[in-house]
Amino acid sequence: MEKLYGKYGLPLKVSFCRKCTMNNQRPSSTIEFKQKENENKDTLVFGDDGVCDACKYAEQKKLINWNERSRELEELCNRFRRNDGRYDVVIPGSGGKDSVQAAHILKYKYNMNPILITWPPALYTEIGKRNFDAWLDAGFANYTYNQNKKLHRLLTKNAFLNLGHPFQPFILGQKNLAPRLSVLLDIPLVIFGENEAEYGNAIEDNYKPTRDPKYYSAELSIEDLILGGIPAKDLIDDYGFKLSDLEAYFPVNPYDLEKTGTEVHYLGYYVKWHPQDVYYYSVENSNFMPNDYRTEGSFSKYSSLDDKIDWLHYHTTTIKFGIGRATYDSAQEIRNGDITRDEGIALIKRFDGEFPTQYIGDCCDYMGISLQQYHDAIEKFRSPHLWKKVNGNFELKSPIWKEKN
Amino acid sequence: MSNIIGIVNYGVAGNIHSVKKAIEKAGGETLVINSASDFKSVDKLVIPGVGSFKSSMKELESDGFIDLIKGFHKPILGICLGMQLLAKIGYEHGRTDGLNLIDAEVKPILCDAKIPHMGFQKIQVINSNKLLKDIEKEEFYFMHSYEMINYTNILALTSYGNHSFVCSIQKDNIYGVQFHPEKSRQAGIKLLSNFIQLENN
Amino acid sequence: MNTRIIAKLDVKPPYVVKPVHFEGLRKVGEPAHLAKKYFDQGADELFYIDIVSSLYQRNILSSDIIKTASELFIPFAVGGGVKTVDDFSNLLHMGADKVVINSFAVQNNPNIINIAAEIFGNQAIVVNIEAKKWKKNWECYTDCGRIQSGKDVIEWAKDVQQRGAGEILLQSVDHDGRRRGFDIDLATRVVNSVDIPVVVASGAGSLEDISKLIKVANPSGIALASLLHYDQLTIKDIRNYLRNEGLMT
Repeated sequence: MEKLYGKYGLPLKVSFCRKCTMNNQRPSSTIEFKQKENENKDTLVFGDDGVCDACKYAEQKKLINWNERSRELEELCNRFRRNDGRYDVVIPGSGGKDSVQAAHILKYKYNMNPILITWPPALYTEIGKRNFDAWLDAGFANYTYNQNKKLHRLLTKNAFLNLGHPFQPFILGQKNLAPRLSVLLDIPLVIFGENEAEYGNAIEDNYKPTRDPKYYSAELSIEDLILGGIPAKDLIDDYGFKLSDLEAYFPVNPYDLEKTGTEVHYLGYYVKWHPQDVYYYSVENSNFMPNDYRTEGSFSKYSSLDDKIDWLHYHTTTIKFGIGRATYDSAQEIRNGDITRDEGIALIKRFDGEFPTQYIGDCCDYMGISLQQYHDAIEKFRSPHLWKKVNGNFELKSPIWKEKN
Repeated sequence: MSNIIGIVNYGVAGNIHSVKKAIEKAGGETLVINSASDFKSVDKLVIPGVGSFKSSMKELESDGFIDLIKGFHKPILGICLGMQLLAKIGYEHGRTDGLNLIDAEVKPILCDAKIPHMGFQKIQVINSNKLLKDIEKEEFYFMHSYEMINYTNILALTSYGNHSFVCSIQKDNIYGVQFHPEKSRQAGIKLLSNFIQLENN
Repeated sequence: MNTRIIAKLDVKPPYVVKPVHFEGLRKVGEPAHLAKKYFDQGADELFYIDIVSSLYQRNILSSDIIKTASELFIPFAVGGGVKTVDDFSNLLHMGADKVVINSFAVQNNPNIINIAAEIFGNQAIVVNIEAKKWKKNWECYTDCGRIQSGKDVIEWAKDVQQRGAGEILLQSVDHDGRRRGFDIDLATRVVNSVDIPVVVASGAGSLEDISKLIKVANPSGIALASLLHYDQLTIKDIRNYLRNEGLMT
């Protein structure tokens, strides 16, 4: 029988969405706190017409009555707004354009009293630090949970070596911290910036204003949890960490959420989420700054700027799925009408998969590995059906700029 | 009566298009001169100018236009470089012979202000004439690093830095303007209209 | 001579866009329509830059340029992805009076400036400098204000003058699109470093910004984009103000 799937259960034949530049190797969101090595991935769904789910959703977005959604947000805020001067909404983020816009809109348009909360990057970039300060300079207070650095470093290193996914520790906390603080601070309403379903995850996720609790809560015991490819139990028994240290990475207990009445909403349901519009909103309403130069691996200056590990993250997606930052960025800009598909292809050809020279040194130092160890480790994750070796260098077998129609 | 304005097209450089448009806006009928035989179909001549003295004279020579221009006895208007080419000699990138229709030399502008001279400037009319009628108080757009040095055919001067230079000349049927009428808004259109209305003998 | 008031169109064909810090592609109108609008308002010149040609590594698209030039009776400078003598020639034939160049000259071959100046005359060559401020100096950027070159802005400005450029368009990556004022320090230094005209852009947010720039840096021209595109002021407003301030006749 013909083998249809390769590493990670990805389809062997690479095909591209007819409308954007995304391809069928792109994985959907994983339930991070259970991720094991060599797992098969669910990938982006393509219709029979060759159009991906994310593009389909973008089309449907055009038909949404955004005035209506704005009213729904008004009603939501009315339900939770406090008149005694206390915080009434938790806004997670780190000062990137999405959290800047969310904070500003909720305070000035919907008359709420936000408290900002941050699960910080392992390694802040210069621009990330500046934008974080600018976010607070705009007149907001912030709770930042600074992770146990020894643990966070270990998890990052293991996540990279075992899963080729150094970003996992960040993602775990990012999803869990806001609901956790909602309980701790007794502020039921949590509003995130965009929704990752925008990027092509289960399209059904886009029709609800709330984040699916399966991403941040679970009634689990220690036995079920795996961090960086290592069972939590081992982290306690063998590595000497305490439950309290690990809790930050765990999903929140659903009973606590129910007691507080926590609701996790995403702004992308209520406000039409167009990243470039968000960028403009940020620069027009705060001291937000884009990157000081083109972001490596892509063409843009305004997205995902604050975490040095992010640069490595896109390198690993390139190795595993043949998809780099320029592909992600261009696909999204095409859907929003900023650029055309051909322009996206030209940008991918020029920048996608660029090796993250700027921060590789800092990230390897952080993880306590050498550059050579980085290169050796990453080869474990390369999907053979996507790459070939030409004159000693790896090249994609089916890049989009060689696409046959 | 025929009043076709020929625009000399001499190759590599050359925003013929703007001059053509402006003349048409001023009410003139145009013909772009691409070959020697076109000269006999026109009643007036406009020599536009973007480029360098040296490369332009070379083009005019290889196109076989030099004698035809010299032998053209109906009104001629040289614009910017087109005016400078009417001179005896040009000193841009070495020494080049010009059309020698005006007793003048073309040399780099020497003054303490920024060069090229680029922008809108007023002119001072020295000798009244039909070309500059009704627009003596207007501003015109200049864009050049070289000036025409001449004392006998001056229609108007312009001041820049601490320096005064020739910005319009006339000798018999030959007119020249250092500035660009096609780039000088309504004032420029009026100048072109004045030119169009000159008698053809 | 009065300071020239110039309207700048940043174009991602077929639209005029207005980035902030050279980022973002928000559409603000169509080139031919805006050109006519600013010509009618009394602009001295129009600059048209195809801001994505170099970034997308493609040739400049001509149909919008021809259309934009068609009703303009003021100088028209055009640039975007210019690399060869033919590019200069083509743009001049499409209706440009001056050709603007940046990325190729900075990153690949500065000699193109020398060659073009000799053929087309230096008054037809405009070098666009996209300046990004660091602690001690400014660096030249390319490809729509995002790729570093390692070249110092002041050194490059002097260099391009030597090579025969007729004019400099000076933009600031840090001030672009923010309407919080010009980088006056940058403008002053560049104007004082060269003997060729300098047109200063990036940051105009008010009449006072403009008068301050003229008083302190005295550039040959001022290029405006956001201020005009968002209808905050008209060119007529600006001229009236400058006349009242004694900065214009």
